[in-house]
Amino acid sequence: MSRRFGAALVLALLLSATPALAHSPIMGIGGVVGGVLHALLIPEHGLSLLALGLALGQWEQSARRAGIMIFAVALACGLIAAAFALAEALAADVLLAATGILGLLVVTMWTPTYLVWPLAAIAGLTIGLDSRPEVASNEEAIRMLLGSGLGAAVSLTIVAEVSFLLRSNAQRIVARVMGSWITAIAILVLSLRIVTQMTVG
Amino acid sequence: MHFREATCHQTAMGTILRVSAWIASFASAFAATGALAHSEQGVAIDFWGGFTHPIFGLDHVIAMVAVGLWGAFLGPPAIWLLPVVFPLVMAVAGAYGVLGLPLHGVETGIALSAIMLGAMVAGAAKPPLWVAALLVGAFAIFHGYAHGVELPVGADAIAFSMGFVIATGMLHLSGIAFGGLSHWPAGRIAVRAAGVVIAVIGLGYLTGVV
Repeated sequence: MSRRFGAALVLALLLSATPALAHSPIMGIGGVVGGVLHALLIPEHGLSLLALGLALGQWEQSARRAGIMIFAVALACGLIAAAFALAEALAADVLLAATGILGLLVVTMWTPTYLVWPLAAIAGLTIGLDSRPEVASNEEAIRMLLGSGLGAAVSLTIVAEVSFLLRSNAQRIVARVMGSWITAIAILVLSLRIVTQMTVG
Repeated sequence: MHFREATCHQTAMGTILRVSAWIASFASAFAATGALAHSEQGVAIDFWGGFTHPIFGLDHVIAMVAVGLWGAFLGPPAIWLLPVVFPLVMAVAGAYGVLGLPLHGVETGIALSAIMLGAMVAGAAKPPLWVAALLVGAFAIFHGYAHGVELPVGADAIAFSMGFVIATGMLHLSGIAFGGLSHWPAGRIAVRAAGVVIAVIGLGYLTGVV
């Protein structure tokens, strides 16, 4: 796939996106495809996949792929738990906190495995727990969860591999800037959510 | 493992400008969804509301542009370090403001930030990197806090915050892009003149003229 085609595809996906409605199925699209779109269009999930991918992209192949595997296993655990309706209310907040830390690690370009691997596990688990769609049928929910898992795992792999390939000095600067933005967003969202919870009760 | 640090200013500028174009497309895509929700104060709490929030205050805009201008003037690694420090400190201070904790002299701090940062650009000041980062970080506290206390408590916090942070980053990038003119003698004069204008507007805010 050429870079332009890939770019056009991403832009077309973004332009065709309906507003991100967390945990609601994409209108008119269900099943596995709906699940994949669900994984890609939830901003919290996208942000964490971007942060984790940028962090994993700093490593050589074996460590990078081990990180992706850890994420995938944790994601599967989270999705299975979500399939049994064990969704955790705090999952989104824990995911944001992990995302903020990952963004900070990308800013500093200090990505030790003993920090990133646990964060990959936390991200996988919380994305899984936070992925249960609001649909009436259990079968439809499971199909969408499968799609969500597939979408998240493939997205992370793509971001990590692209991040590994784009490692010129200028591209690493862009990664640092993105890391700072990701952390800033995570901090603001967490604080807004805390105040909202305090206000609403 | 760590790769080599940034040294190529031109390449970095080119990449940053390409990325800014991409981010603009990204922002447009989000903006196309339209305003769906509003806070009790009538402030949109979606992506577009967050994106326009930092842009409506001239005092914020000139200070953020000045950060980019100064970073471009100082060259690597300040060109990326300053725009990285600013949003991080701004977000922490913003959270402080969102939580409703007190901070005095915010408006004065914001006006001083424009004066100081504008003066640094106008004077082509090149202090040690840590001094520049400290100065930018200190001023980011006032900007972040001011935004934080104004942030609407609403449902779509992530979309709002994404818009808010991306707009702030775009203002830095616009400063960096304009600061790129400093490679040429005439451009250098234009950039320093922009620093003077920023400092004068900041002085206007401090004295209450603006």
